[in-house]
Amino acid sequence: MAQPIRRANSGTFVGAPSFLASMRCASFKVDEGYSEDTRSQSENDILMRSDSRLEEMTEADGQVLPDWLLSMNEADRSEFTYMILRTLRTSSIASIVDRLNPLLHLDPVLHLPPEVTSIIFSYLTPDTLLKTSALSKSWRGRALDSQLWRLLFRLEGWTADPAKMRAFEDEERLRRSGLRDRKSRVRFADRGTERFRSKKRAYDSGKSRDGPTPMTVEEPDITMGWAEQHGKVEADESLNNSPDRMQDVSFESDHIPMPAASTPLEPPVKPSLLLDDSSDNPRINWHYLYKQKRRLEDNWNAGRFKNFQFPNPDYPQEAHTECVYTIQYSGKHLVSGSRDKSVRIWNMETQRLTRPPLLGHSASVLCLQFDDSPQEDVVISGGSDCHIIVWRFSTGKLLKKLSRAHSESVLNLRFDENYLISCSKDKSIKVWNRKQLLPTDPCYPIVTTAASAHFPQHIISMDQVPDLQRNHIEPLPEYSLIMTLQGHTAAVNAIQIYDKQIVSASGDRSVKVWDVRTGKCLKTFQGHTKGIACVQFDGRRIVSGSSDESVRIFDQSTGAEVACLNGHKNLVRTVQASFGDFPGNEEELEAEARKVDREFFEARDRGMLGEDSLSRDRRRMRNAGSKDPKDIFAYGAKLPPGGGGSRWARIVSGSYDESVIVWKKDAESGNWVVSKILLQNEAVRSAGDRPRNRPTQQHQQAHNHPHGQTGQQNQQQQQQQGGAQNAGNAHNAVNQLVAVQANFQALAAQAHAQVAHAQMLAQQAQALHQQANNAQAAQAAQAAASNNQNAPHGLAATNAAPNNATNRPTAHQSSTQHAPGQGQSSGQPSSQAQHSHSQSQTQAQATQNQSHNAPGTASAAASNNAPANAPAPQAQPHHHHHNHNHAHGHGHNHHHHHHHPLGPLGVQQGTNSRVFKLQFDARRIICCSQDPTIVGWDFADGDADIISASQFFGELQ
Amino acid sequence: MAAADSTEKPFVLIETSDGIEIRVDREVAERSVLIKNLLEDLGPEAAEQGAIPIPNVNEAVMRKVLEWCEQHKKDPPAAADDDADNRKKTTDIDEWDQKFMQVDQEMLFEIILAANYLDIKALLDVGCKTVANMIKGKSPDEIRKTFNIQNDFTPEEEDQIRRENEWAEDR
Repeated sequence: MAQPIRRANSGTFVGAPSFLASMRCASFKVDEGYSEDTRSQSENDILMRSDSRLEEMTEADGQVLPDWLLSMNEADRSEFTYMILRTLRTSSIASIVDRLNPLLHLDPVLHLPPEVTSIIFSYLTPDTLLKTSALSKSWRGRALDSQLWRLLFRLEGWTADPAKMRAFEDEERLRRSGLRDRKSRVRFADRGTERFRSKKRAYDSGKSRDGPTPMTVEEPDITMGWAEQHGKVEADESLNNSPDRMQDVSFESDHIPMPAASTPLEPPVKPSLLLDDSSDNPRINWHYLYKQKRRLEDNWNAGRFKNFQFPNPDYPQEAHTECVYTIQYSGKHLVSGSRDKSVRIWNMETQRLTRPPLLGHSASVLCLQFDDSPQEDVVISGGSDCHIIVWRFSTGKLLKKLSRAHSESVLNLRFDENYLISCSKDKSIKVWNRKQLLPTDPCYPIVTTAASAHFPQHIISMDQVPDLQRNHIEPLPEYSLIMTLQGHTAAVNAIQIYDKQIVSASGDRSVKVWDVRTGKCLKTFQGHTKGIACVQFDGRRIVSGSSDESVRIFDQSTGAEVACLNGHKNLVRTVQASFGDFPGNEEELEAEARKVDREFFEARDRGMLGEDSLSRDRRRMRNAGSKDPKDIFAYGAKLPPGGGGSRWARIVSGSYDESVIVWKKDAESGNWVVSKILLQNEAVRSAGDRPRNRPTQQHQQAHNHPHGQTGQQNQQQQQQQGGAQNAGNAHNAVNQLVAVQANFQALAAQAHAQVAHAQMLAQQAQALHQQANNAQAAQAAQAAASNNQNAPHGLAATNAAPNNATNRPTAHQSSTQHAPGQGQSSGQPSSQAQHSHSQSQTQAQATQNQSHNAPGTASAAASNNAPANAPAPQAQPHHHHHNHNHAHGHGHNHHHHHHHPLGPLGVQQGTNSRVFKLQFDARRIICCSQDPTIVGWDFADGDADIISASQFFGELQ
Repeated sequence: MAAADSTEKPFVLIETSDGIEIRVDREVAERSVLIKNLLEDLGPEAAEQGAIPIPNVNEAVMRKVLEWCEQHKKDPPAAADDDADNRKKTTDIDEWDQKFMQVDQEMLFEIILAANYLDIKALLDVGCKTVANMIKGKSPDEIRKTFNIQNDFTPEEEDQIRRENEWAEDR
């Protein structure tokens, strides 16, 4: 076969090269070129490409190599060439080498099909890929292929919403076909043009079949050619070329893009949302999505955002009238629940109410969840009235009221398709069915003897039902109680349901995982040193925020604590995490965790970790995600330190320290670090909130709480507030404060507002601070004592103290007028109370700034700084249980909150914006707080491209 | 050729585009999903009856590919495509493969094309990684030189593109 033959040839070649023989025999006549027929059999082993190259060269040079030479096999030809080269001077050889050099370097884009180059490109990082897009037009075409960017997008751990993308493409398709129909009617008159267009379309669709990219370097010229002609032929019809040529057009555009001549590049310099593809099949361009997502992430990291608020600043009358405890938003709507007893549904786009407030709760709305999809169309809310109410989202109609669902405040609730889960200050968790249930349904509870679960009488076990009766069992009506879970020893503050597991967080410092069907408590996590206020579960990690001021991440499967984030200066009330996992990275995370473990043990074995490496101190410091063996304090986890996830992982937490912290993973160490601290009150200011009643010029910057303010009193107060803020000096602020006190009415209002805030905070957070062994009696006694101490402080002035007792009822009166939905009318005392309250807080803040910023600063220091402003920043958690500012004899329906712990809440900090609940998505953070105004940070920062791409970004997981 | 002895490993004959028959262990040949499927479709006796024609791969490239298959015949089968696509891509190549891929660019591309045609995903990936590594860490001019790429952009276009691509720079 060929191999031996060739070897024989080269063997003989050394002595008497065979080509010499053929040279001698061959006629030197200049042929018309070589033909396939003349080639020897053995030449077939030359690559086809080599053949064609040979052909190109011979023809390109205008010279034809002699037949006899071409009839030699490759080995001979190569040896012959070498011999010729050896006759040349070195400089000639060098120049030949130069000329040959490019031949050794082949362009993969020209030699490999798109499906192969796309694999090559899939190994490149986005920035390298973009670099290659600038190499040549053909590289550009391949490197900017939409599917490639789709992969890159997914590999970042980013998600997009395929349903939304499809819907958008379908809509665009319809729009285009509508356009084309109109067009062809117009066109009918001009057959010539029509023919031209059809030809072009055929060309276009052919191109799209081959892949989105030009295969040869000539193509761009062709494109340019027809683009010019295109302009000429169709200049009279501005509409018609847009469906075919969408380059550089934003998605909503009906108009012609930039003149083709000025943008000959294909794909265009700037990616557009829709690919410039055949008119029948508009596709969203993943390169565009990737780019905008990346720009959006840059905005997050750089802290570029625009603030917005609910209510829309132009419609202040739509605002909640008291603090807002809970929010949730989807793409289109935001739903909020407030101490003003109302639930409000807002349009995300306009920040307007979609309908009048939903009224039905008789006390604060503490928690809610909604689903605005047509299948669900529901809002479910729970409150301190112990009720749970089910509303129809689209109409606001009250569908069902679960009266006295719990014996105390309903602190949180979550629902999925089958279950509604609620948790309460009464320490229990309850499970309700959302659909009619038969004992044979897969969702029906499995009655067990688990100590943690209590099943009501109406829950039966099929085994105990005689056969004859089985067909006569009535289905359980929807929203029946099907299970009560007991086990927490303090209020259950937060719950989540995920894939048949309930995760609960309690003031007893533990997180528990329960099976939703059997009610068994599957796991208990300990780690926080104080009560837990919030929890999130994504199937692998449990992220919780606590009164110990930390956010911690636990590995669900092993219970290991994989990170502890320290940064807040007060209770962490709300947290959301997005790790940016991509499908199938579980094993990767586990492998990473194993590796860290191994390194830990190796380091330990080598004695690198001193005896004290896991000392109490170090343990207390905890680990924010470092992989350094010295920092490891839990091993055996399925998750690496930090909890894993992509470099885009993000946690956002909100705290009673009035800040929202955006956490990200440090690129080097993998530690969770503070990326941005956002302040609620700053957001309100920059969201465009302003006093309705324009005060004098000097007060421009002092408008935290404009709602419903009118009248001279408010003007006066604003002046004082403005003064306090401008002063930047504690003494000025104190003077201002003293000035305020002249007005008894205002003082009464202040006092009430402060007490009221203390109460509602108490109701929310009481259990968080409950010491495991605290006796209620002792608490109550303490409460009474501290109340006596704190009450005068609560009024923020000594000369006001004597009026305290008499003013309170007044304040309370104004409070009772707070019927939900009434607070809008501007002159109401309640609004004033709210306002003056916030003012006093702002002023207090001004005086207390120094001490407040230093964690652990003794409260006495603050008092010393501002003696007249007695309330100290007693938020330091170890003081909590001593500070009870509950207003006794207040006649409020919050009687069960007395031993509330959180100190003189209404006065200790200045901006009145403790964060209660936040939510974030790819683009926004929205949070609610003590302030009736709900604020948001939009990291699209007004960029039209980011905004248009953001609609397709998926919910974060 | 003589029928396989019962003690001998099963083998197959492959006929390359240039008409060369190569005898190879069946286990090795079946690294190619194309050949594996062919053998399954044809039945066991077919392999002994005649060579499997592989009209797109010449002898030199086929021998190189089979060398790789021999080396990797014990590798576990590749994970399902979807899974692999979802993994972070690393361009690490093991030592033997790196050496194996030290060939001229023409041969490299031929191997990649052959792996693509013969459906040997792992080899295709190694080849593509090799090319990717030739791109990584180079300046545009170096990449153009490496692959003899003709820059057909006008300076204005190049400038426009460079400015457009700034968003991807790590900040």
